[in-house]
Amino acid sequence: MARIERLIGRGLYQQALECLLVENPFPAVCGRVCYHPCENSCNRAGLDCAVAINGIERFLGDEALHGRIQPTVFRFPPRGKKIAVVGAGPAGLSAAYFLSLLGYGCDVFESRPEPGGVLRWGIPSYRLPEDVPAWEIRRIQSMGVQIHCNASVSADFLEDLCRSYSGVFIGAGHGKSLTMNIPGEPFALDGLDFLAGVKQGELPDVKGPVWVIGGGNTAVDVARTLARSGLGVTIAYRRTRSDMPAFEQEIEPAMAEGVRIMELVSPVRIEKQGGSYRLVLQKMKSTGEKVRGRMGAIPDGTDVFSITAGQVFTAIGAGPADLWIPPLPGDARQIPLSHCTAVVHEIPLVYGGDLTNSRKSIPDAVASGKQAAMVLDLLFTEGKHDIPEKLKAFHVGAGPSLSMEMYIGGERKERSRRVVSYGDINTDYFPPRPRVLKSSEENTAGEDVAVDEARRCFNCGICNDCDNCRVFCPEVAVVKEDGSARRIDMDYCKGCGICVVECPRCAMDLEEEPV
Amino acid sequence: MKPFDIPQNDYMYSGHVGCPGCGAAIAMKFALKALGEKTIIVMPACCWGVMSGSHPQTALKVPILHTAFASGAAAASGLRAALDMRGDTETTVMTWAGDGGTFDIGFQALSGAVERNEDFIYACYDNEAYMNTGVQRSSATPAGARTTTTPGKDWKRTRKKNIVEALAAHRITYAATASIAFPEDMILKFKKAKSLKGGSRFIHIFASCPTGWRMPSEMSVKIARLAVRTNLFPLYEVEEGVRYTLNYTGDRPVKDYLKLQGRFAHLTDQDMDAIQKMVDEDWKQLQKKI
Repeated sequence: MARIERLIGRGLYQQALECLLVENPFPAVCGRVCYHPCENSCNRAGLDCAVAINGIERFLGDEALHGRIQPTVFRFPPRGKKIAVVGAGPAGLSAAYFLSLLGYGCDVFESRPEPGGVLRWGIPSYRLPEDVPAWEIRRIQSMGVQIHCNASVSADFLEDLCRSYSGVFIGAGHGKSLTMNIPGEPFALDGLDFLAGVKQGELPDVKGPVWVIGGGNTAVDVARTLARSGLGVTIAYRRTRSDMPAFEQEIEPAMAEGVRIMELVSPVRIEKQGGSYRLVLQKMKSTGEKVRGRMGAIPDGTDVFSITAGQVFTAIGAGPADLWIPPLPGDARQIPLSHCTAVVHEIPLVYGGDLTNSRKSIPDAVASGKQAAMVLDLLFTEGKHDIPEKLKAFHVGAGPSLSMEMYIGGERKERSRRVVSYGDINTDYFPPRPRVLKSSEENTAGEDVAVDEARRCFNCGICNDCDNCRVFCPEVAVVKEDGSARRIDMDYCKGCGICVVECPRCAMDLEEEPV
Repeated sequence: MKPFDIPQNDYMYSGHVGCPGCGAAIAMKFALKALGEKTIIVMPACCWGVMSGSHPQTALKVPILHTAFASGAAAASGLRAALDMRGDTETTVMTWAGDGGTFDIGFQALSGAVERNEDFIYACYDNEAYMNTGVQRSSATPAGARTTTTPGKDWKRTRKKNIVEALAAHRITYAATASIAFPEDMILKFKKAKSLKGGSRFIHIFASCPTGWRMPSEMSVKIARLAVRTNLFPLYEVEEGVRYTLNYTGDRPVKDYLKLQGRFAHLTDQDMDAIQKMVDEDWKQLQKKI
């Protein structure tokens, strides 16, 4: 990240995007819909405010989208192996992209008439206009990935795939909505279907007031889409707002657009009442005990109340179709990983995306595709042993994030694995300066703003040629011969450590020489 | 702070015998970057007298004239006259003295030369005590500091001598303060001093000393920066003794600076408050002159 910001800060957009494309096939998409956890761990927040990484990513993605830069994506020569990918959602497409980068041929099978999965059918246009994922999917296709639409994969077809391909990635997603099992459920409309319909230009005739049952991103997207068409919308959620699985940065604008949230209510039944519906709700209360990170909720007494709704929507989550449920843990042939599960039959099958991710999000889906590509490559080249252990060599940061650049042995592999913290930054060199790039759904940041924002980046842990080490060295022992990188003349370095302290961004470290 | 345009050439070699993290070494490096090759250094007894080593293996790429402790300014006056007689008006003569050779032992020679408006640069790299002889107090040692001659509870109670004001009172052509933590500022001041040829020019450099100040060597520059950021060592210039220019305004309490050094470790909060008061008072005095 630091390197990308540094390149943008110098106006080298093409190199910056090439750097980014080694790790993420969807910069323009993620620049719009990612919930950017990266900004939460940005060290700059310790000084004033995190760098607007998400907005910069969007700028970079759009530079390519508008044809202003033509990045070349690094690729290994073909290895003569073909992988089948089930599902052309963000996970499947990422898997195909990274596999193709590693030199594998890929066929992607998609049941719907167009590729993209949730990018195409699930995210409202005001957050992600159709042409953005379409363009980035074309880039993946231009790498030789074949996408076959209207190609549902049945159990028999899957067996065929297992016979004719070297490996299969299954990113079929959670497309089957869960049901509430309450009387009158058929009166409610399904949230996911509704969003898909809207994306195809079908806005059903909905009467307000609208009630949306659920608390995830789909519920919020449904509510926002309807609120934007002028209807009064309330989300009914069984826990409290802080427990909603929807991302805060989606809930906030929804509320700003007039969506209300009723906390601690659970649906009991839906009744038809003339031209509208009666939604009976049960008041809930917190149990005070957290279950899997969220507060449990139980009915608060027996009292129920009802409200009148013009239309009720359900968006209480989705699950996989039966065929795609990954095998249970405990199977010896199974390799469980952070973002996917590999199963080694005659050929390897890797389940990924929503099927295996605990957090159902676009960046997690991309991460899953990347991990799957590495796992398949390791299985083919080194066998099935110690895969989780081997993957550790390509981790960046403290979490499970993997770097494809490190996997393919790029420059990053040479860098220190140390995670620079805010305390390591020499803030003498960084006067506080508020964000320049303010996020906006409508517009991508202009070049000036994006560059200025990128320059706010500390460039943690990487040298940006500020030259402080050489300027301050009392021994004239930091040397820079014409055209080459700086080096320390160990014959004369006294180890005072000034260069390390005066490095604003902790790109240097002082280590004791082993005796 | 953006990368600035610092001259690339160095007129100092690696391999001098200064302590790790020596602020005086950094000071010399910056001064010579600004003055260039056509410079002769007059050096009375001081750390650098030891650090530079002896001819022909000195650590500097320019000639050095070693002289007695008291006579840095007098020898520079003579050297200037000799060069002028030979018709060499181009070479810059710079006395490079420590605080002992400037504030104390060399003061009469300096005062006399400046009164005669001798044509040289006098640079004092101030590490606030007689460091290479074992950290004895000088009149540049600040109030509150421990030295080997102001040990234990007998730490120095009196103020540091204000040498720039003393020289301003001589109506010196140019006097300025500089810090090793502000390379661009320091190099510009040396360039300006060089360009003001014809009269006496004085630059007072704050050069931290990890050995004498009892601090980790890597903190050398950071602490020098804090001295400026706390207004304890303001960066300013005085032309003709009356025209003042302030180059930086600090924003930190003096405690931040004191707490990082072993030489101030004995100070109580009350002592530090008293030092803060002194700093505030000096700062106010200075601002009246701007």
